[in-house]
Amino acid sequence: MTDKTLSPKALRQRDQYRWSALGFIAPGVLIVAVLLYLPLLWTTFLSLTEYNGLGDPEWTGLANYVEMFDDPGFIGSVLNTLLWVGGTLLVPVGIGLGVALLTWNLKGGTWLRLPFLIPYALSGIGVGVIWSFILSGDGALDQALAAFGIADTPRWLVDAPLNTVVMILATAWQGVGVNALLFTIGLQSIPREPLEAARMDGANGMRLFRSILWPMLRPLTAVVVGLSIVASLKTFDIVQGMTKGGPGRDSETLALTMYKETFVNSEYGLGSAIAVFLTVVTLIASILYLRQQLSSKHGV
Amino acid sequence: MRSPRIPLTIAAAAAASLVLASCGGGAEDDGATTGTLDFYTNKAAWEPDFDELNATSESGADITLDTTGYSDAAQYDAFIKQSFRTDKSPGLFTWQTGPSLNELVEEDLIAQTTDIWTKAVDEGWVSPDLRDSYTIDGEQYCVPMNIAYWVMYYNKAIFDEQGIAEPTTWAELDAAAAQLADAGITPYYQTSTLFTFQWFQQLVAGTDPELYNGLATGEVKYTDPEIVDIMNTWLDQEEAGWFSDAGSTVDPAVGLKQGDYAMINFGSFFNGSLDGAGMVSGEDYDMFVIPAVNEGLEKTPVAVESGPLCVAENSSQKSLGLAYSEWWMSPEAQTAWSAARGDVAFNPQATVADPMLEELGTTVTGEGYELYDRYYEATPTPILTVALEQFGAFIANPSDPVPFLEAIQAEADDYWADQE
Repeated sequence: MTDKTLSPKALRQRDQYRWSALGFIAPGVLIVAVLLYLPLLWTTFLSLTEYNGLGDPEWTGLANYVEMFDDPGFIGSVLNTLLWVGGTLLVPVGIGLGVALLTWNLKGGTWLRLPFLIPYALSGIGVGVIWSFILSGDGALDQALAAFGIADTPRWLVDAPLNTVVMILATAWQGVGVNALLFTIGLQSIPREPLEAARMDGANGMRLFRSILWPMLRPLTAVVVGLSIVASLKTFDIVQGMTKGGPGRDSETLALTMYKETFVNSEYGLGSAIAVFLTVVTLIASILYLRQQLSSKHGV
Repeated sequence: MRSPRIPLTIAAAAAASLVLASCGGGAEDDGATTGTLDFYTNKAAWEPDFDELNATSESGADITLDTTGYSDAAQYDAFIKQSFRTDKSPGLFTWQTGPSLNELVEEDLIAQTTDIWTKAVDEGWVSPDLRDSYTIDGEQYCVPMNIAYWVMYYNKAIFDEQGIAEPTTWAELDAAAAQLADAGITPYYQTSTLFTFQWFQQLVAGTDPELYNGLATGEVKYTDPEIVDIMNTWLDQEEAGWFSDAGSTVDPAVGLKQGDYAMINFGSFFNGSLDGAGMVSGEDYDMFVIPAVNEGLEKTPVAVESGPLCVAENSSQKSLGLAYSEWWMSPEAQTAWSAARGDVAFNPQATVADPMLEELGTTVTGEGYELYDRYYEATPTPILTVALEQFGAFIANPSDPVPFLEAIQAEADDYWADQE
């Protein structure tokens, strides 16, 4: 419908409707602007300044970004973060899928999945504290191994990259349950007919998974993997709880580097530059991944 | 329909908020010198001690502290810095001496306490030496909340069993450590997080106090041969198995109690932790001043840590905060504080509850000892952060110290270049 086909009265009514609509959405827009857009703009502005949290920020252009990429500790953080992205895809998502596949068709499968969900109720810091007790130099794991006569154990939280690997496993302990739950929902939503047809054709086990279940799980896998990538890119709490990024900066992630520069060193400009970098990387990774996974050629 | 008004609204709101955010804060001093004073501290664990002190401050100065304790130092620092932009800047808060305090004073955010210090020194309530740590450009800011000397605590039962007496020279200390190691007892405690600096501090200042001061001012480089030699001494000791497992999460006081190690280099506030772990001062544990590495030094250097109590210049409770600060320096307040906290007192006229701490205070302020600022306060924050990480990495994997020192020096070069 175009403006020419409307009477003057209808046009007036439409304008009134638009104004009242704007009035209704304005408070929401304002809240979003102040709470979401403003911090983003402010952080981007700070990343181009030198600022110690006192006085006024001093414009330094791209100096923080140059300093950031010059810092070998930052490059180490990027590599650790990539390890987290890869590790959390392989372990919590992979095991979650395995648990879902093994239990979704079983009688009483819910009871088998339930224990995996319990750790999800804990905060990341809580998980960190518990696993620190287990993995520290004289912790529960070493004591248990010593009881079996194994004394020469690795220094789980001291040697890199072992410390990052064990922290990924601790995260998996917490994250498997929710991934299993999501995959189970996906499996339960698959229509019965194609499954039964495939079974009648003799498809079972891996063949059934590869040809029927996996393609039909794709929309849900896209969401689970997408969430996992975003969550792992901003890994902070469990590392802060277990190693504080140490020893040295061996297990630091990007989120931890951002926190240290901003709040420990009071380098608000440099911390903001890392925050902007992390935001851009997360956005690009999410957009590229979701666009590739959810494109129309996959029929979603 | 895509309306241009929505992006415009967002832009206008963002711009308005930016203007608001950039406005400075602050409030008028209400002039009250009695009442309830809002007090913020990063020592959340000490909150009951401050509350206990209220009974004395209410009768002595008619002021009651309303204490808010933070347990995360970084979060606390950010909170205090942001508060200066509001009309809620604190009437009293704890901070750190050294570069962190200088930073606030440079921005005119801290109330001067020159008059309070003049009176306290005249009354003999505080040593003029301590005033130096609180003096910036000839004026004083804040008052000392506490004072701690960094000494060596030891497990008396282990020393007795091994027939080891308190070492009075560096050679005796080395001999004691070697004897303990031979007997299968780890001599020293260490950790790879936060408290990673004290052995470095002890070795450098004990070798040459000028060298130590030079690191704090940038005149000495971490890569200078003297520092490398000192780190190699530390490496030799690490390789000899003189230090505890760096990855242990056992509470240090509990570790000393159960004999995981025989000695621990800590501030004199550690008495409180050891008492809390069930050890008895003078019976189960004792302490000694660590002898200088260089026996040719005229005076034995002792690291001192002093945390300030500050008043914000633009606080509505500025007068009240300053009135409390003045009372805080008095023997009455410091006697009550020492009883509440179990700590040494900076005021020589105060009565110290624990005889071991009283003796320590008398010893280190007497002839033959000189006090120097602890590494944590003496070192500019960006250098300190890297140094703590690098010492932690060295402790976790003791090896050639040069790469660790180079990493610290790289940060120091950046920092001192920015200061020029």
